[in-house]
Amino acid sequence: MHHPLPWHHIAHHDMLVETTHDERARLDTIAHLNVFAAQRLAPTVKIAFERKGVTPIDRHEVRQAMERDPAFRAWSLVRRNTMEMRQKTGRDIVGRQRESLRDKADRLNAADGSKQSRLHLDPSLDVPRYVSGVDQHLMQGGYTAEWLDRDVSNAANYDAGMFATVGGSAGPHNDAAGRALCEWLRREFPAFVPSRVVDLGCGLGHNTLPLRQLFPAAEIIAIDVAAPMLRYGHARARALGVNDIDFRQEDATRTQLAAHSADLVFSTMVLHETSHEALPRLLQESHRLLRGGGLCIHLEQPPYRGLNPFEQFMRDWDGRYNNEPFWSALHESDLRQMMTKAGFSEELVFETRCVAPTWQASKPSEEDFGRAPAWYAVGAWQAV
Amino acid sequence: MPLEHGRLFEDMHSHLPQKADPNPPQPTTLRGRRPEFTDDPMLDRLYAITLALVAELSVTRARVDTLERLLDRKGLVGSGEIESFTPDESEAAKRGEIQQQYLDRIFRTLTE
Repeated sequence: MHHPLPWHHIAHHDMLVETTHDERARLDTIAHLNVFAAQRLAPTVKIAFERKGVTPIDRHEVRQAMERDPAFRAWSLVRRNTMEMRQKTGRDIVGRQRESLRDKADRLNAADGSKQSRLHLDPSLDVPRYVSGVDQHLMQGGYTAEWLDRDVSNAANYDAGMFATVGGSAGPHNDAAGRALCEWLRREFPAFVPSRVVDLGCGLGHNTLPLRQLFPAAEIIAIDVAAPMLRYGHARARALGVNDIDFRQEDATRTQLAAHSADLVFSTMVLHETSHEALPRLLQESHRLLRGGGLCIHLEQPPYRGLNPFEQFMRDWDGRYNNEPFWSALHESDLRQMMTKAGFSEELVFETRCVAPTWQASKPSEEDFGRAPAWYAVGAWQAV
Repeated sequence: MPLEHGRLFEDMHSHLPQKADPNPPQPTTLRGRRPEFTDDPMLDRLYAITLALVAELSVTRARVDTLERLLDRKGLVGSGEIESFTPDESEAAKRGEIQQQYLDRIFRTLTE
């Protein structure tokens, strides 16, 4: 049985929450519960389904057969409660130190000698409701809520708790998607060296930072609508010794960046948190930003197309029970066609798979219906 | 039934600071419907409580394990001393406080 990486393996930096022995033990318990649900309980759901002897034509028919099944319900109860407990644990850890976290972020975000601040917040930004109105993956207040002036609470919670949710499978820096993208670029296009990189929907920049290592000379711009995530992300980057990434509060569907000004535009796990109405505009913006010969690539969970109905049903769990309202429709979308509609030439649009290189003391986890360190990606080259 | 988008998108301002308290605690109420997986809402609650207990027992076992290893490593305390230990008044009061925080976690699903 695969064991999750204990929480104390998380990369330590000055923005990371302080934790007690029992808080770390609680995060470890949550990680173990997730692994147990994936490796011991999920197979019981599959066995229960196979015993029913039905041959469904789609995931909706699987759901009809399974929704009331005790194995499915027990797996769901464990999964849902583990997510809720993970949020409470993170909230309690952050809640008792939120002022000191805010003060640390203030200090790290201020200009310091030759290091100018690269945090650019825009209080006048009209934050889209599809972000501010959803408590994504059961996080109270979502990405944008603030309860203090210059609050970083939910970002700090997200950083600490994500490691437990994925059992450390995203690595000590929670950056497996960024590293997977870098690995893919290094292997497939070693000669591709962008001078400007834009991360659309960067969150707290987990997956932006690996690009800095791969492209040390590039200008890197990380964009998000959520001020708390950017404040924490800029401070975290500084705490990790990265002083030259711009964190900008902007809407990724209509940035203020000049047209044809970027060579690499990417996102990680953003499309499934983007509304159906905004998604085409985000892809159009990717197209607008790119120079000729530039590359656009979006990492995501795999589409349902090509998966059997049972697998689709299991992967759809987050869409139904984990506050991911755009999940199901995104995974049923034809992203290649959407990229073409956004302006990319059909023959330059592609799909691929990005896998994070493994690191010491951890192995890629067993398939956990969407929580393993490997991603589907849709991308396109800009016509020269 | 699909997720109730109307409730997911309910008024975001209910989560923002109220004028009376410039620095309110983070709310515990989640926007979005909490699913019910059993036919009896009480059974869902019982599952939630039981799972929290499972987690808390695991945390306690980790702490006891830490203590026993440290005590053993340093040759400080034998098991007889642990069996005969009685807390004084202030130690007992601190334990009471810890008990309340413990119950808050166990009964989370009834209060959030």
